[in-house]
This record gives sequence, structure tokens and C-alpha cells, in this order.
Amino acid sequence: MGSVLDVVLSTAFFAAILGVSTPYVLAALGGLLAERAGVPNIALEGSMLSAACAGALVAGYSGSVWAGAVCGIAAGSLLALLLGVLHLYLGADAIIAGIGLNLLAAGATSYTVFALLGDKGGTSRLHSGALPSLRLPLIEDIPGVGAVLSGQNVLTWAALAATPVVAWLLYRTRFGFHLRAVGEHPEAARSVGIHVHRVQFRALALSGALAGAAGVFLSMGAVSFFVTGMTAGRGYIALAAVFLGALRPWGVFLAALGFGTAEALAVQLGNLDVPGQLVSAIPYVFTLLALAFFAWRRRRASRTDAAPAPLTGPPVLESP
Amino acid sequence: MTSTMEPAAEQRELPETRDRREFLATRRRTVAVELTMTVLTVAVAVLIAFLVVLATGKDAGGALDALLTGPLERTPRIGRWLADATTLSLLGLSVAIPFRARQISLGAEGQVYAGALASALVAINLHLPPVAAVLVPLGAAALAGGALGAVPGVMKARLGANEIVATLMLNAVVVRVFDYLLTDHLKAPGSSAVQSAPVRPDSALPLLSNFFEVPLDQANIGLFGMLAVAAAVWFLLARTPLGYRIRVTGSNPDFARYGGLDVPRTIEWSFVIGGALAGLAGAHLALGIYGGLQPDMAGGLAFEGIVVALLGRNNPVGVVAAALLYSYLRVGGDVMEQQTDVGSDAVTIIQAVIVLLVTARALPELVKRYLARREAR
Amino acid sequence: MEPIEETDETVGTAPAAPPALQAVGLGKTYPNGTRAVSGVDLSVPRGEIRAIVGQNGAGKSTLMKLLYGLEQPSAGQLGVHGRRVRFAGPQDAIALGVGMVHQNLMLVPSFTVAENVVLGVEPGRAGRVDRAAAVERTAALAEQSGLAVDPEARVDAVSVGMRQRAEILKALHRGARILILDEPTAVLTPQETTDLFTAIRRLRDAGMTVLFISHKLKEVREISDRVTVMRAGSVIDTVRTEESTPAQLASMMVGREMSLDVPRHPARPGANTLRVRELSGPAVHGVSLDIAAGEIVGLAGVEGNGQTELVELLAGLRRPTAGTVTVDDTDVTHLDAAGHRRAGVAHVPEDRLTNGAALDRSIADNLIVDRHDRPPVARRGILRTRRIRELAEDLISRYAIRAPHPDAAAGALSGGNLQKVVVARELSAEPRLLLAAQLTRGVDIGAMHFMYERLVEARDAGAAVLLVSADLGELLALSDRLLVIKDGRLVARFDDPAELTEETTGLYMLGVERHPDERITAGVR
Repeated sequence: MGSVLDVVLSTAFFAAILGVSTPYVLAALGGLLAERAGVPNIALEGSMLSAACAGALVAGYSGSVWAGAVCGIAAGSLLALLLGVLHLYLGADAIIAGIGLNLLAAGATSYTVFALLGDKGGTSRLHSGALPSLRLPLIEDIPGVGAVLSGQNVLTWAALAATPVVAWLLYRTRFGFHLRAVGEHPEAARSVGIHVHRVQFRALALSGALAGAAGVFLSMGAVSFFVTGMTAGRGYIALAAVFLGALRPWGVFLAALGFGTAEALAVQLGNLDVPGQLVSAIPYVFTLLALAFFAWRRRRASRTDAAPAPLTGPPVLESP
Repeated sequence: MTSTMEPAAEQRELPETRDRREFLATRRRTVAVELTMTVLTVAVAVLIAFLVVLATGKDAGGALDALLTGPLERTPRIGRWLADATTLSLLGLSVAIPFRARQISLGAEGQVYAGALASALVAINLHLPPVAAVLVPLGAAALAGGALGAVPGVMKARLGANEIVATLMLNAVVVRVFDYLLTDHLKAPGSSAVQSAPVRPDSALPLLSNFFEVPLDQANIGLFGMLAVAAAVWFLLARTPLGYRIRVTGSNPDFARYGGLDVPRTIEWSFVIGGALAGLAGAHLALGIYGGLQPDMAGGLAFEGIVVALLGRNNPVGVVAAALLYSYLRVGGDVMEQQTDVGSDAVTIIQAVIVLLVTARALPELVKRYLARREAR
Repeated sequence: MEPIEETDETVGTAPAAPPALQAVGLGKTYPNGTRAVSGVDLSVPRGEIRAIVGQNGAGKSTLMKLLYGLEQPSAGQLGVHGRRVRFAGPQDAIALGVGMVHQNLMLVPSFTVAENVVLGVEPGRAGRVDRAAAVERTAALAEQSGLAVDPEARVDAVSVGMRQRAEILKALHRGARILILDEPTAVLTPQETTDLFTAIRRLRDAGMTVLFISHKLKEVREISDRVTVMRAGSVIDTVRTEESTPAQLASMMVGREMSLDVPRHPARPGANTLRVRELSGPAVHGVSLDIAAGEIVGLAGVEGNGQTELVELLAGLRRPTAGTVTVDDTDVTHLDAAGHRRAGVAHVPEDRLTNGAALDRSIADNLIVDRHDRPPVARRGILRTRRIRELAEDLISRYAIRAPHPDAAAGALSGGNLQKVVVARELSAEPRLLLAAQLTRGVDIGAMHFMYERLVEARDAGAAVLLVSADLGELLALSDRLLVIKDGRLVARFDDPAELTEETTGLYMLGVERHPDERITAGVR
């Protein structure tokens, strides 16, 4: 037990948390934007995977990691836009279309890698490189904090910055206002002249871009190659983080951090021969309990007639 | 009781029977149209993949040939096809039942592992007489899957909790527990690979190869079991009061409640039965295909089950047909990869495109309108 | 935009100022053939407060939608300030100074009042939102117009009155000169209503033209300058408020040209089947009544006065907060719909599309929902498809339902036929208590008479029947006794409605007259 504590309370562990949480934070924020705009984006997983693959391939062939990053993010965004077309124009069910797109991404990425490189496992033959880590010269000398903050990948910083940026976007800009109005009460938005579908498409584009950034981190941050299926369900977990975070930017950030912590813990404990899987299951159990609790509370509230006349407008956390 | 309108019986015959005949004819036609649309969708998806392959400069023609005819060339491939389809059918059925009740259950993944675990534990450790050695693990698998399904079922029915998030979370938990148990407690002694001890021979599902004297890979009597289960599901939905309640709740829950149906209980049962079926799929994997537990046994099958249910319109016959189709494509994909330089993932692409085309409900309308406009010009 | 043609409707306007709002021959027919509004002439001078009254289905809401651009007219012209206009959507109306406050408020729940007011035209540079400016502007507007709001409060946390004021401010913020209010006082307390009226008068004094729809004659008389009465999609007349009496208005609202004639024997009521004591729930306050076996009790009332909720309470679809309901000695107060059905209650719901039928299921499936797990439909846990088919065909023939096959989808049936399916199902259960809400809504004439006959049949077979209807003619033709409901309370009781006229009943429905409580609850212990 002692050695476990040693590991858990070490600066290396905290540094690892930030790194491991990066894809969760980015993808979850992306999921948040889409959900708040009224289009559930189940295809976060697909956006992440496409971005990871596209990024690595472009970086490998072009020699520029930045070109790879941009292309990766664009790939993620495009997939989300495809979801928009399917759901908003072609009447597809958002959930099924999302699952289908995830499947498409899985197949397309594996196929492309195999076709281009003849390797079913990934792009390790390709030297695609990674996005730079940032050494912070003065800060890294601070005991404790320095080791945690310095040396983090640029995308980790992007993830940390993304949360306040998304919050600012949602609550301080016209776009964010319209996005939230469209998600909560599309009728009201339409009645003041807001183009509901246009706003939703833009939200999806951003959502996919953020998920894409998460994917780019996987193949060009943590490691420097793409492995087939490397997202390993993180996109779905990010979705859970969106709900666990009560659809608010900082809440989602904390929830994503929670899942990241659990994953980092699982890895470390695995190294120590402690059953990491059970520990890493904790956040999911927690989410399940939280879900039940909030639902129970909502049920109880609706039984009392004390509330004033209900506003028309779909509550966002309601089950379909 | 006298009705004020009572024209002579003969007078009412003609227009009524004509309407009736027309209705039946339209119904047959609709089924034919649906079938054609589905076949068309598959054809379009294959075409798209073909074009993609062509674009990447590979031998598209040879790939198509291998894909479409490969599975039938050798009997072990046929066996693999049937075995795969068995698991996939059960998974599709497990999703179709909650779908009929308008519930989106994504919990098949967790339920499959739970079923595999339960059946393997029984099959490895309990010494049972011949027939029971198969039936008891199957029962355990169904129980485990059903119990797991009850969790999101109750949460949704009684609390209104979002069943999508609930099932995703439960999946994550069960998969981890399975991993843990397999790695730390169930690993076969003396083996370096991470896998459980093999199930007792009495519990392993008898291979069809033995009956037909022809190598059929892992195809086993589970196939017939699955067909029986599919028939049972059909019977449940079409001919029992519970099935009626599921169908009506799925069609209009307000009407169901108004009519006196116990909607929460119906929802719960739909999740439990679905879970039990997924558990059976897990048992098929453990007792039939792998003869034990392996890490990542189910792969992406659970989500494919959802896709199969969608394609099969949540109808037992459709689900089995769709599962056969998908599994055929998957085996064909492997053959294609062996024989040509085209990766089997092209099949995943085909499957995904099929899903997207099927769910884009407005697409046929748009296409029709586009064609009509072209004609008008 | 050309000047609009003049009509006779220019009552009392100064010749120089064109009317703020005008409609000439306005009509709206929906694609399915429903004629919601036809031949409407309207002329509202600038600065007038005009009330539009009429029963449900009279066309008031549709007219408002046409005036605001939410719907496009199929006939006629619209004019704003003397110029002909065509609204492609609400944006066009807003641009011309027409603002609307809907009955279902168009407010985003998690936004503050100020944020809702400026939604779509938010102040701020470079895509940012200047919340301080929004608050400032809202506060200024509120001050100016006398509509007190808390700009920084979240809209889902404030009173309904304030929400409504926020909607009005929204319209004012966009420069509305013509304000349309749809049933503004429906959800307000008396105090809030007074405040609203003060604000409306202030707005009018500053030059605003106000149109509002209302059911409440008292308020109409309090605040409007003139009243336009609508009935069955047309304008009956426009009168100066101070020159008209409530009786006149009521008579214009509910008068009917043709009378319904349903042949029936006098009722022979037996023992009390339904006993309701002090029943309370949402929108229902302390209702007590009895209905005996073999009698039809009609319930009249302007829609939205609690009759929908009362029926739902009696059917087990809602939970009462107080009181008891007994059916034939069974206390069904806290039972769910299934429990009520077991006790012998049948219910023809007022909205068959929402909960009276499952549209994509077959007619047969729809006919057996209340008996699907009992013989003869099911035996030993199995559905007997042949018996189901026989049952369905029997009911289809007995009720003359025009359907090709029992397996045809219920959604493919016309309104009248679908209602026949519902009625067939409910009546074939041989209920002890039949609750019939809007029995003939959306049903053609021929089927209507059919329904009436079946209803009387059920009564003669011993059922206690509660008939709720917005169609007074129907109620008067069928009821053995008549009750009137207003604001969730019973306000009138007629044990012998033979000589009752629609005009008189209208007076009770609109709250102009009321019976004393002793008369209403006589004999009810």
C-alpha cells in the first residue's frame, strides 16, 4: 500500500494526469458544444479516430507535424459536419448516425493505413513525429508544480485553455447565445430570426474540431504514431463526461479530468501489479450512481405541483 | 342491439372486399419494396466501397469477387460465417427488443461479457451430466445478461434516467471487471497467454463438423439454438400479451398508459429479455467459438448487433437475415484480404455506409424528388 | 406596397390616419381541407385596444398567426398602416413593427430576462455580447413602459407574470408599434392582471395599438375599446365595448343556426354509479358531483377551465391532490388507468391522436388494448389471433368503420373513423362509467349522429355517462342533466336542461352568472 501512495502522490503522476486527461477534456468540450446546440454528437469517437489517423499520415508524408495537426482537426470537423448533414437534412436519427459514423471511421482508418503502408497495426513505420512539448524555463524550477507543468505537450495546454475559451464562447458571445437558445428552445430562437440549422452546423463543426484535436493528441502527442483503434472508447467516455459535468464547461472539465485520473491510476497501478481495472471502473460506477441520483431528484420534483407553469422548452438532460 | 345502418348484406360485400383485397396487395407490395430498398442499399454500399478501393489503386475487381464468392468456396469459411452469424443474430435480437419498446439500449457489450463469464465459470468449474453441462451454463449466461439488463431498465422505467449513458457506463464497468477477473483469477495455469482454462468438453457446444463430416470451423449447434431463439422472440413479440405491450409501448407510450398497460414494467422486461439474449450470445462465444474466455472476445460485435437490428427493422426474421448478411461480408472480407491486397476493413466501411444509408430516412424522398425534377426538364 | 382597399370597417377613424392593422377578406384553409378562417374583415385604428373573443376553434389563434406571419393567408389581404403587406415569416412582421406575445412563451429558460429580451439583436461589438448594455436597455425599457422586471433574473425562476412582461419587452425592444397578445391573462393572478392592464394602458397612451385574444369577458370589458367576436372562422361583428352587454357578447359567441336533433327516450336513472367528493388536482378545485347509472351528464365550459384535467383525474391518468372518487362502491381515487378500467371506467379521450390510439399499429391492436391479456383475446398466456381478428371485424361492422382490413394501420383512417375505433373499443367494454371528452371533434356529420346514438345506447344499457364538449348544441341535445365548469369549479347545475338555450348556458360558462353552491351540490353527500 505504501508504494501505491508513493506513486499516486508523486509529481510524475500528476503530470501524467494532465497528459492522459487531455483527449478527454478536448473531446468532452466538443461533445458539450454539440449537446448544448441540441444535436447529440455520438460520433466523438469517430472524429477522434479520423483525426488521429489523418494527422499521423499527413505529418508523416509531408514532414510537418503542424500540417498533420491541422489536417487531423479538419478531419474531425468534417465527420461531425457529416453527422449534421445526415441528421438535419436527411432525417437520420442522431444516435444511429453517430454510431454508424464511428463504424465508418474505424473501417476507413484501418483500411487506409493498410492500403498505404501495408500494416494492419498502425503507422509506426511512418515517422510522423509528435507535436512539441513545452518546457517552461522558469516555472520548471518551482518544486512540485514545476515538474507537473513543464514538459507538457502543447495540446495539453490547448486543452487547459479550451475550457475557459469554451465558457467564454458559450456565455459571452453572440454565437454562444444563439447556440444555447437553439439547443434549449429552438422555437424561441426561430421566432427571433435565428437560423437554427445554421447554428447547429457551426456547433457541430467546432465539436468535431475539438474531438479532432483530442485525436491528434493521441497519435501526435502522447506517442508519435497511429495505432488502429487507438481511441479505445474514449469518445464514448467523453460523452459521459458531458452529462456528468451537467452540461457546463467547468463541470465537464472536472468530469473529464476525473476519467483521466482514473485511467492514469489504472496504468500506474498496473505497473505495480495492483488490479488497475477495478480502480479505473470507479468513475463509471460513480457516473452511474450520479445519473440515478439526478433522475430520482427530477422525478421527485415533478410530483409536487408547487412549481410555476412550465416553460415550453426541452430539458437537455432528459432521456430520449 | 340494432344498428341504425343496416344495408343488405350483399350490397356491402363488393366495395368492402375490393378495399380488403387492395389492402392485402399493398401490404405485400410494401414488403417487396422494403426488401428491394434494403438490397439496393447494400448494393450501393458495396459500390461505394468498390470505388474507394479503385481509388486507392488496388485490384477492385478481384477484391469484389473474393468478397462476394469467397465465403462459399471452402466449407470452413461457411462454418465461420454461420458461427459468426449466430453470435451476431443473438446480439441483434437483444437490441431489437428494447428498440421495439422505444428504448435505446447500448448495453449489449457488457451483457455479452457477463454472459460469457457466467457460462464459462459454470462450464469450467461445475461437473454436470451431459445435457445439463450445456444447458446450465446457457441458463447462467441468460441470467447474468438479464440481471445486468435490469439495471438500466429499472433506472429508465422508474427514474427516467438516460438509458444511453447508463448502458455505456455499465459496459465500461463490466468490461473492466471481466478483464480483471480474467487476468488475475481465471488465467489458465501453466499458460503464458491471457486466457482462461478451457471449458469442460461436455459443456462445449458440439461442432457441426462432427455431424456433417465436413470441416465447418467453429460452427456449432448454437446455430440451431439461435434459430430457435429467433423463433421464440418472434412468438414473444407477435403472440404474447407481453410482446403486445412491448409493441404498443414502443408505438405510443401515452396510449399504452391510457389503455391500462403497465408501461414501466414493460420497459423493464424489454431490457431484461434483451440482456438475457446478449448473455446467450456471450455463452455462444465462450462455449462454442472460443471454448473458454479470451480478452476482448466480443470485439466490436456489440455495436454491430445494434446495426444489424436497425437493418433488420427490429424484426426477428430481418435481424437474422441481416446478421447472415453482415457475417457473410465479414468472412468475405477476410478472404479478400488473403487473396488480394485489399484490407478487410473495406467491409467495415461497407457495413457503416449501409447503416448511414438506412438511417437517412429522408434520402429516398429526396432522390425521388430529384429524379422527378430531372424528368420534368 | 400598394395602398390597401378600403372597406366598410372604418368605424370612427380620423380620415387622415390609416388604421394600424387591416385585414380584408382574410382566409386560411389548411392543406387537409380545414377552413380555419374565412372572409375576415378587420380594421384596427392606431392607438386602439381591441379584444378578439370567441370559442375554441373560432379561428382567433389562426387569425393572430396570420397577422404575425407565422402562417400565410390563402385568401385576402393584410395591411399595416395603410400599406398592403405579405409576411413570409415573423421577421417581416417584426420589421414592420408587429410584435406578438404568444400563449406559450418563447423564452429560453436558462437565460436572464435581459438576455431573452435582446435575443437575436444582442448589443456588443465583434461578436461579443455586452451583457451590461443588455441589462441597461432592458431596465430602461421597463421603466419607460411601466413593466416591472428584474433584468438579471433567470427566466425559469421568475413568476409567470414577469415572464410575460419580458415577452412584451422583447417586442418593444424590436420597436413594435402593434402588439398582439394571445390569452395574456390565462396564467396570471388577479394582481398580475391588474398590473398588466396598467402597463397596456400606458403603452396605448404612448401610441401602441393592442390586439388581444381573451375568453374572459370581465377583462375584455375592463380594458378594451372595442370587441370583435369570432365564430366558426368568421367575424360576427365588432362592437364598442361600452355599448355592448355581456349577454349580447355571449350570444354572438355561442349562437348556432341549426339545432341538433337526437331522438331519445327520457332517462331512467338508477343508483349513483359515480360519486365525486371535493376532488382537487391541477386546475380542479373541490368538485363534487354524482352521476347515476342510465343518465348522461353534460359538462359545459370554455376550454381551459379544468374540464380536461377533471376527465383525466376521473380516468386515472392524473393523481388528485385531495378528494375521493368512487365507482360503484370501488374507491378508485388513487388507482392508475388500469385500476380505473378494472372498476368499469371507459374513457374516450379528447385528443385521440395523442393517447387514444397507436397510429402505426393495426386497428385490431388498437381495439384490444384494454383486454389484451384476458380471455377471449388471450388464453393461457397466448394471444389468439383468430379471436382478435373476429373481434375486430365484429366491431368494425357494428360501428360501420370504413377500413379495408383489421390489420390496416390506425393512422390511415380518417378522423371520424379513428374516433369510431376509439368509441367501439370503449363501449364494447360495457363500462359502468363512460367518460366522453370531445366526442365528435374532427368527426364528420354522419359519424357524429352515429356517435350520439351509440352514446344513448350505452346510457340505456345502464352506463353512467359524463359528456364533456365544447359544442353546446351537442351538450344540450344529449344531456339529461347539465353542469357548467369555470376555473376548475362547478358554477351551474341544470337538472332539466330541456328548455335551456345556448345563450343562457354561455352566460354561466363565461362567468357572468353563477348558481349558488347549495344548488350545485344538492343531493350530493
